Amino acid sequence: YSWSTVSYAFLNRYPNPFATHVLTADTIEHRIDPSTGELHITRLLRKTNSVPRWARSIMRENDAYILEDVVVDPKGSTLVSKTRNITHTRLLKVEEKQTLTMDPFNDSRTQCKNETCIVSSIGYGLNSRIESFSLSRFSENIARSRKGMLYVLDLAQRRGLFRQRFRMEQRHLESQ
Amino acid sequence: MAEQMESIGKECTPLKHEFDACFTRWYSERFLHGDKSNDCEKIFKAYQACLKNVLREKGLTKMISDARPSIGSVFTDDNDDAGDK
Repeated sequence: YSWSTVSYAFLNRYPNPFATHVLTADTIEHRIDPSTGELHITRLLRKTNSVPRWARSIMRENDAYILEDVVVDPKGSTLVSKTRNITHTRLLKVEEKQTLTMDPFNDSRTQCKNETCIVSSIGYGLNSRIESFSLSRFSENIARSRKGMLYVLDLAQRRGLFRQRFRMEQRHLESQ
Repeated sequence: MAEQMESIGKECTPLKHEFDACFTRWYSERFLHGDKSNDCEKIFKAYQACLKNVLREKGLTKMISDARPSIGSVFTDDNDDAGDK
């Protein structure tokens, strides 16, 4: 899938059947940097609280919130998304960075890079247990978010969004 | 896409849907083609105003503003916009 399509799908990835844990999504900032032409979006996501039972006694807050910061560079065909949890940070801090770029050798393909950093500083001898639990879930989560993205991409394709965009891209190219 | 997500505040959901519809249209038809104009500004402002109230009621405002500067804390960022304002 082209970067345009993937970036579009990424920004519209909720709801999808692989992300039923995401309850609400709100855009709390949306602006274009006039000097770079980059789109900056900040989103607040509310998720179900999927804390394992052994950690529940240490938790006070009930709702889990995540902040997402996305920067889209249309000229460079790059989208960078960073997310971090803003609740339950005493227990665990998870930061994820996802980079979507156009494949330099094939502009109908997109490269996706995922990085994450998981830190627990709660103490009580629980840190490494929490961290390894989270890491083990990380690859499941990546697989799930990939399925979610493919779902959204497939949906967009079946709805003819690709064809429309392809036509628009053609027209844009021809008009140059 | 057919289904839509809800907003954190039920009263803001219709505004959110309106903004999302505008955004998806603008993103694919304008932004990706190099058009920097921001069509959705007005509806976004209305949606924002509604959100601000909800966030304040829920006591999330401070938590969010505290968290925002550090969103790039672990990963180095080429496009760091936290620098100059």
